[in-house]
Amino acid sequence: MEEEKKEIDFEIGMKQNQELKLEEEPQQQQKQVGDEHVLRFLDSVDNYLTLFESLSCTLRQGWLELVSARHSMGASRVNSSLLDLKVHSASTSLQVTPDIVDSMEEQPHFILRKWGSLYDGKCSYEDQNSKVDGLQGKSGSPLPRHRGKPQLSEEISPKQAPLMVDDQVQKKRSRSLSVFGTLVSPQLRAAQLSFETALETLVEIANMRSTMLSTFNGVHKELGVAKEIR
Amino acid sequence: MANRAQIPTSNSALIAMIADEDSVVGFLLAGVGNVDLRRKSNYLLVDSKTTVKQIEDAFKDFTTREDIAIVLISQYVANMIRFLVDSYNKPVPAILEIPSKDHPYDPAQDSVLTRVKHLYSAESVASGRR
Repeated sequence: MEEEKKEIDFEIGMKQNQELKLEEEPQQQQKQVGDEHVLRFLDSVDNYLTLFESLSCTLRQGWLELVSARHSMGASRVNSSLLDLKVHSASTSLQVTPDIVDSMEEQPHFILRKWGSLYDGKCSYEDQNSKVDGLQGKSGSPLPRHRGKPQLSEEISPKQAPLMVDDQVQKKRSRSLSVFGTLVSPQLRAAQLSFETALETLVEIANMRSTMLSTFNGVHKELGVAKEIR
Repeated sequence: MANRAQIPTSNSALIAMIADEDSVVGFLLAGVGNVDLRRKSNYLLVDSKTTVKQIEDAFKDFTTREDIAIVLISQYVANMIRFLVDSYNKPVPAILEIPSKDHPYDPAQDSVLTRVKHLYSAESVASGRR
Protein backbone atom coordinates (compact mmCIF):
# COMPACT_ATOMS: atom_id res chain seq x y z
CA MET A 1 0.00 0.00 0.00
CA GLU A 2 2.77 2.34 0.97
CA GLU A 3 4.63 1.42 -2.18
CA GLU A 4 1.54 2.11 -4.26
CA LYS A 5 1.16 5.48 -2.54
CA LYS A 6 4.79 6.27 -3.26
CA GLU A 7 4.30 5.34 -6.92
CA ILE A 8 1.17 7.47 -7.17
CA ASP A 9 2.95 10.41 -5.50
CA PHE A 10 5.90 9.93 -7.86
CA GLU A 11 3.60 9.96 -10.89
CA ILE A 12 1.78 13.06 -9.62
CA GLY A 13 5.14 14.75 -9.09
CA MET A 14 6.27 13.80 -12.63
CA LYS A 15 3.05 15.18 -14.11
CA GLN A 16 3.42 18.44 -12.18
CA ASN A 17 7.01 18.78 -13.43
CA GLN A 18 5.88 18.20 -17.00
CA GLU A 19 3.14 20.82 -16.63
CA LEU A 20 5.64 23.29 -15.22
CA LYS A 21 8.01 22.64 -18.14
CA LEU A 22 5.16 23.18 -20.61
CA GLU A 23 4.37 26.49 -18.91
CA GLU A 24 8.04 27.54 -18.88
CA GLU A 25 8.73 26.71 -22.57
CA PRO A 26 6.70 29.55 -24.09
CA GLN A 27 8.14 31.93 -21.47
CA GLN A 28 11.68 30.83 -22.41
CA GLN A 29 10.89 31.23 -26.09
CA GLN A 30 9.47 34.67 -25.37
CA LYS A 31 12.62 35.55 -23.44
CA GLN A 32 14.80 34.41 -26.37
CA VAL A 33 12.76 36.52 -28.79
CA GLY A 34 13.02 39.47 -26.41
CA ASP A 35 16.81 39.05 -26.14
CA GLU A 36 17.06 38.87 -29.92
CA HIS A 37 15.11 42.13 -30.26
CA VAL A 38 17.35 43.83 -27.73
CA LEU A 39 20.51 42.66 -29.50
CA ARG A 40 19.22 43.75 -32.90
CA PHE A 41 18.19 47.10 -31.43
CA LEU A 42 21.62 47.70 -29.88
CA ASP A 43 23.35 46.64 -33.11
CA SER A 44 21.20 49.01 -35.15
CA VAL A 45 21.92 51.93 -32.80
CA ASP A 46 25.66 51.22 -33.03
CA ASN A 47 25.52 50.96 -36.83
CA TYR A 48 23.43 54.15 -37.02
CA LEU A 49 26.04 56.13 -35.08
CA THR A 50 28.93 54.59 -37.05
CA LEU A 51 27.26 55.51 -40.33
CA PHE A 52 26.79 59.08 -39.15
CA GLU A 53 30.51 59.34 -38.37
CA SER A 54 31.27 58.11 -41.88
CA LEU A 55 28.76 60.60 -43.32
CA SER A 56 30.36 63.48 -41.41
CA CYS A 57 33.79 62.60 -42.88
CA THR A 58 32.42 62.33 -46.41
CA LEU A 59 30.51 65.61 -46.15
CA ARG A 60 33.57 67.41 -44.75
CA GLN A 61 35.54 66.23 -47.76
CA GLY A 62 32.75 67.33 -50.10
CA TRP A 63 32.51 70.80 -48.54
CA LEU A 64 36.27 71.21 -48.74
CA GLU A 65 36.29 70.26 -52.42
CA LEU A 66 33.38 72.62 -53.10
CA VAL A 67 35.19 75.48 -51.40
CA SER A 68 38.35 74.68 -53.40
CA ALA A 69 36.32 74.70 -56.62
CA ARG A 70 34.78 78.03 -55.65
CA HIS A 71 38.28 79.39 -54.98
CA SER A 72 39.64 78.23 -58.34
CA MET A 73 36.60 79.02 -60.50
CA GLY A 74 35.44 82.11 -58.69
CA ALA A 75 32.57 82.69 -56.28
CA SER A 76 30.31 83.95 -59.07
CA ARG A 77 30.61 80.65 -60.92
CA VAL A 78 29.86 78.35 -57.99
CA ASN A 79 26.87 79.62 -56.06
CA SER A 80 23.21 78.90 -55.55
CA SER A 81 21.97 81.62 -57.92
CA LEU A 82 23.02 79.42 -60.85
CA LEU A 83 20.81 76.53 -59.76
CA ASP A 84 18.54 75.21 -62.47
CA LEU A 85 15.01 76.43 -61.80
CA LYS A 86 13.61 75.09 -65.06
CA VAL A 87 11.30 72.10 -64.95
CA HIS A 88 13.41 68.96 -64.68
CA SER A 89 13.17 65.61 -62.93
CA ALA A 90 15.73 64.23 -60.51
CA SER A 91 18.40 62.00 -62.03
CA THR A 92 19.03 60.41 -58.64
CA SER A 93 15.99 59.06 -56.86
CA LEU A 94 14.89 56.32 -54.49
CA GLN A 95 13.06 53.04 -54.74
CA VAL A 96 10.91 52.39 -51.66
CA THR A 97 9.51 48.96 -50.88
CA PRO A 98 7.79 47.62 -47.76
CA ASP A 99 9.87 45.07 -45.85
CA ILE A 100 7.95 42.72 -43.56
CA VAL A 101 9.79 42.06 -40.28
CA ASP A 102 8.95 39.06 -38.06
CA SER A 103 5.75 38.52 -40.14
CA MET A 104 4.09 41.33 -38.25
CA GLU A 105 5.46 44.78 -38.84
CA GLU A 106 6.19 46.57 -42.10
CA GLN A 107 9.18 48.82 -42.38
CA PRO A 108 10.31 50.82 -45.42
CA HIS A 109 13.39 49.70 -47.35
CA PHE A 110 15.16 52.35 -49.44
CA ILE A 111 17.31 51.66 -52.51
CA LEU A 112 19.24 54.46 -54.18
CA ARG A 113 18.83 54.95 -57.92
CA LYS A 114 21.97 56.92 -58.68
CA TRP A 115 21.75 58.55 -62.14
CA GLY A 116 18.92 56.16 -62.96
CA SER A 117 20.87 53.03 -61.94
CA LEU A 118 20.00 50.96 -58.89
CA TYR A 119 22.52 50.94 -56.06
CA ASP A 120 21.91 48.38 -53.34
CA GLY A 121 24.81 49.30 -51.11
CA LYS A 122 27.17 46.65 -52.55
CA CYS A 123 27.28 47.21 -56.27
CA SER A 124 25.49 49.23 -58.81
CA TYR A 125 23.57 47.65 -61.62
CA GLU A 126 21.34 49.03 -64.30
CA ASP A 127 17.61 48.90 -63.87
CA GLN A 128 15.57 47.11 -66.51
CA ASN A 129 14.26 50.29 -68.13
CA SER A 130 17.65 51.81 -68.81
CA LYS A 131 18.91 48.43 -70.09
CA VAL A 132 16.01 48.14 -72.54
CA ASP A 133 16.39 51.79 -73.57
CA GLY A 134 20.11 51.30 -74.06
CA LEU A 135 19.66 48.23 -76.25
CA GLN A 136 16.95 49.87 -78.29
CA GLY A 137 19.17 52.88 -78.86
CA LYS A 138 16.81 55.41 -77.35
CA SER A 139 19.68 57.85 -76.99
CA GLY A 140 19.72 58.09 -80.78
CA SER A 141 22.80 56.02 -81.52
CA PRO A 142 22.03 53.18 -83.94
CA LEU A 143 22.54 49.57 -82.89
CA PRO A 144 25.61 47.95 -84.50
CA ARG A 145 24.88 45.77 -87.50
CA HIS A 146 25.94 42.17 -87.32
CA ARG A 147 26.36 39.96 -90.37
CA GLY A 148 26.19 36.26 -90.11
CA LYS A 149 24.55 34.34 -87.31
CA PRO A 150 22.13 36.22 -85.09
CA GLN A 151 23.73 34.56 -82.04
CA LEU A 152 26.68 36.90 -82.44
CA SER A 153 24.51 39.93 -81.57
CA GLU A 154 23.27 38.16 -78.45
CA GLU A 155 26.86 37.45 -77.38
CA ILE A 156 28.06 40.99 -77.96
CA SER A 157 25.13 43.10 -76.60
CA PRO A 158 25.42 41.97 -72.93
CA LYS A 159 29.04 43.21 -72.95
CA GLN A 160 28.09 46.46 -74.62
CA ALA A 161 25.19 47.16 -72.25
CA PRO A 162 27.35 48.02 -69.16
CA LEU A 163 29.50 50.34 -71.29
CA MET A 164 26.41 52.07 -72.66
CA VAL A 165 25.03 52.48 -69.13
CA ASP A 166 28.37 53.96 -67.96
CA ASP A 167 28.22 56.42 -70.84
CA GLN A 168 24.70 57.43 -69.87
CA VAL A 169 25.75 57.91 -66.26
CA GLN A 170 28.71 60.05 -67.32
CA LYS A 171 26.42 62.13 -69.54
CA LYS A 172 24.04 62.73 -66.64
CA ARG A 173 26.97 63.66 -64.38
CA SER A 174 28.24 66.15 -66.97
CA ARG A 175 24.78 67.62 -67.37
CA SER A 176 24.57 68.20 -63.65
CA LEU A 177 27.99 69.92 -63.68
CA SER A 178 27.12 72.01 -66.73
CA VAL A 179 24.96 74.27 -64.52
CA PHE A 180 28.26 75.81 -63.39
CA GLY A 181 29.70 76.18 -66.87
CA THR A 182 31.25 74.09 -69.63
CA LEU A 183 34.75 73.88 -68.18
CA VAL A 184 34.65 73.06 -64.50
CA SER A 185 37.38 72.58 -61.97
CA PRO A 186 38.49 69.00 -61.09
CA GLN A 187 37.65 69.88 -57.47
CA LEU A 188 34.02 70.37 -58.48
CA ARG A 189 33.99 66.91 -60.10
CA ALA A 190 35.55 65.51 -56.94
CA ALA A 191 32.90 67.27 -54.83
CA GLN A 192 30.22 65.66 -56.99
CA LEU A 193 31.65 62.20 -56.29
CA SER A 194 31.91 62.94 -52.56
CA PHE A 195 28.27 63.97 -52.37
CA GLU A 196 27.27 60.87 -54.33
CA THR A 197 29.08 58.79 -51.69
CA ALA A 198 27.29 60.79 -48.99
CA LEU A 199 23.95 59.92 -50.61
CA GLU A 200 24.80 56.21 -50.50
CA THR A 201 25.61 56.52 -46.78
CA LEU A 202 22.39 58.45 -46.17
CA VAL A 203 20.30 55.68 -47.73
CA GLU A 204 22.05 53.15 -45.47
CA ILE A 205 21.29 55.42 -42.50
CA ALA A 206 17.62 55.59 -43.54
CA ASN A 207 17.44 51.77 -43.65
CA MET A 208 19.22 51.50 -40.30
CA ARG A 209 16.77 54.02 -38.84
CA SER A 210 13.85 51.82 -39.96
CA THR A 211 15.47 48.75 -38.39
CA MET A 212 16.19 50.63 -35.17
CA LEU A 213 12.61 51.85 -34.81
CA SER A 214 11.06 48.46 -35.60
CA THR A 215 13.37 46.58 -33.17
CA PHE A 216 12.69 49.24 -30.55
CA ASN A 217 8.95 48.68 -30.99
CA GLY A 218 9.59 44.96 -30.53
CA VAL A 219 11.50 45.59 -27.27
CA HIS A 220 8.78 47.94 -26.08
CA LYS A 221 6.12 45.29 -26.71
CA GLU A 222 8.18 42.73 -24.80
CA LEU A 223 8.39 45.09 -21.83
CA GLY A 224 4.63 45.57 -21.99
CA VAL A 225 4.02 41.80 -22.06
CA ALA A 226 6.44 41.27 -19.15
CA LYS A 227 4.53 43.85 -17.08
CA GLU A 228 1.21 42.09 -17.77
CA ILE A 229 2.63 38.73 -16.66
CA ARG A 230 3.75 40.29 -13.35
CA MET B 1 -2.34 46.49 -34.27
CA ALA B 2 -3.07 50.18 -33.84
CA ASN B 3 -1.11 52.99 -35.54
CA ARG B 4 0.48 50.70 -38.15
CA ALA B 5 1.14 52.98 -41.10
CA GLN B 6 1.16 51.47 -44.57
CA ILE B 7 4.42 51.79 -46.44
CA PRO B 8 3.84 53.25 -49.91
CA THR B 9 5.77 51.57 -52.74
CA SER B 10 7.56 53.87 -55.16
CA ASN B 11 10.13 53.42 -57.92
CA SER B 12 11.23 57.03 -58.26
CA ALA B 13 10.76 58.82 -54.97
CA LEU B 14 12.62 62.05 -54.29
CA ILE B 15 15.09 63.18 -51.66
CA ALA B 16 14.10 66.57 -50.24
CA MET B 17 16.55 68.96 -48.53
CA ILE B 18 16.28 71.77 -46.01
CA ALA B 19 19.89 72.78 -45.57
CA ASP B 20 22.59 75.43 -46.02
CA GLU B 21 23.90 76.52 -49.41
CA ASP B 22 26.94 74.26 -49.65
CA SER B 23 25.01 71.13 -48.63
CA VAL B 24 22.18 71.87 -51.08
CA VAL B 25 24.59 72.67 -53.94
CA GLY B 26 26.57 69.52 -53.23
CA PHE B 27 23.56 67.23 -53.23
CA LEU B 28 22.17 68.93 -56.35
CA LEU B 29 25.48 68.11 -58.04
CA ALA B 30 24.72 64.48 -57.18
CA GLY B 31 21.49 64.76 -59.18
CA VAL B 32 18.74 64.91 -56.55
CA GLY B 33 17.28 68.23 -57.70
CA ASN B 34 13.72 68.16 -59.00
CA VAL B 35 11.47 70.97 -60.24
CA ASP B 36 7.95 69.93 -61.17
CA LEU B 37 5.48 71.50 -63.60
CA ARG B 38 4.20 73.81 -60.87
CA ARG B 39 7.77 75.06 -60.43
CA LYS B 40 7.93 73.48 -56.99
CA SER B 41 11.36 72.24 -56.05
CA ASN B 42 12.35 69.55 -53.57
CA TYR B 43 14.74 71.73 -51.61
CA LEU B 44 14.84 74.83 -49.44
CA LEU B 45 18.11 76.71 -49.17
CA VAL B 46 18.42 78.10 -45.65
CA ASP B 47 20.44 81.27 -45.11
CA SER B 48 20.41 84.19 -42.69
CA LYS B 49 17.31 85.65 -44.32
CA THR B 50 15.21 82.49 -44.12
CA THR B 51 12.47 82.73 -41.53
CA VAL B 52 11.35 80.00 -39.15
CA LYS B 53 7.89 80.13 -40.79
CA GLN B 54 9.44 79.33 -44.19
CA ILE B 55 11.32 76.40 -42.70
CA GLU B 56 8.16 75.13 -40.98
CA ASP B 57 6.14 75.43 -44.18
CA ALA B 58 8.81 73.61 -46.18
CA PHE B 59 9.00 70.83 -43.58
CA LYS B 60 5.22 70.39 -43.55
CA ASP B 61 5.11 70.43 -47.35
CA PHE B 62 7.90 67.87 -47.80
CA THR B 63 6.51 65.51 -45.14
CA THR B 64 3.05 65.50 -46.71
CA ARG B 65 4.10 65.07 -50.34
CA GLU B 66 3.71 61.51 -51.59
CA ASP B 67 6.64 61.67 -54.00
CA ILE B 68 9.25 62.32 -51.28
CA ALA B 69 10.81 59.39 -49.40
CA ILE B 70 13.66 61.02 -47.45
CA VAL B 71 13.94 64.55 -46.06
CA LEU B 72 17.45 65.74 -45.26
CA ILE B 73 17.51 68.60 -42.79
CA SER B 74 20.58 70.23 -41.31
CA GLN B 75 20.56 69.59 -37.57
CA TYR B 76 20.92 73.28 -36.69
CA VAL B 77 17.85 74.00 -38.89
CA ALA B 78 15.97 71.13 -37.25
CA ASN B 79 16.70 72.74 -33.89
CA MET B 80 14.76 75.82 -35.06
CA ILE B 81 11.64 73.68 -35.56
CA ARG B 82 12.49 71.01 -32.97
CA PHE B 83 8.91 70.61 -31.75
CA LEU B 84 7.69 69.93 -35.27
CA VAL B 85 10.51 67.45 -36.02
CA ASP B 86 10.11 65.56 -32.74
CA SER B 87 6.37 65.24 -33.15
CA TYR B 88 6.79 63.65 -36.59
CA ASN B 89 6.49 59.88 -36.36
CA LYS B 90 5.68 58.49 -39.83
CA PRO B 91 7.98 55.87 -41.39
CA VAL B 92 7.98 57.61 -44.79
CA PRO B 93 9.37 60.08 -45.55
CA ALA B 94 12.30 59.37 -43.26
CA ILE B 95 13.67 62.51 -41.60
CA LEU B 96 17.48 62.50 -41.39
CA GLU B 97 19.26 65.24 -39.48
CA ILE B 98 22.59 65.91 -41.17
CA PRO B 99 25.60 67.92 -40.02
CA SER B 100 26.53 71.23 -41.62
CA LYS B 101 29.86 72.98 -42.08
CA ASP B 102 29.57 75.04 -38.90
CA HIS B 103 27.46 72.63 -36.82
CA PRO B 104 28.74 69.06 -36.43
CA TYR B 105 26.32 66.20 -35.85
CA ASP B 106 25.22 65.80 -32.23
CA PRO B 107 23.58 62.43 -31.45
CA ALA B 108 22.04 63.90 -28.29
CA GLN B 109 19.88 66.19 -30.43
CA ASP B 110 18.85 63.59 -33.04
CA SER B 111 15.06 63.15 -32.79
CA VAL B 112 15.13 59.40 -33.48
CA LEU B 113 17.78 58.70 -30.84
CA THR B 114 16.01 61.02 -28.41
CA ARG B 115 12.74 59.16 -28.93
CA VAL B 116 14.34 55.81 -28.29
CA LYS B 117 16.53 56.98 -25.41
CA HIS B 118 13.65 58.86 -23.71
CA LEU B 119 11.31 55.88 -23.59
CA TYR B 120 14.09 53.49 -22.65
CA SER B 121 15.26 55.79 -19.86
CA ALA B 122 11.66 56.21 -18.64
CA GLU B 123 11.35 52.44 -18.32
CA SER B 124 14.60 52.10 -16.41
CA VAL B 125 13.56 54.97 -14.10
CA ALA B 126 10.13 53.41 -13.53
CA SER B 127 11.62 50.02 -12.65
CA GLY B 128 14.02 51.72 -10.21
CA ARG B 129 11.10 53.21 -8.28
CA ARG B 130 9.46 49.87 -7.53
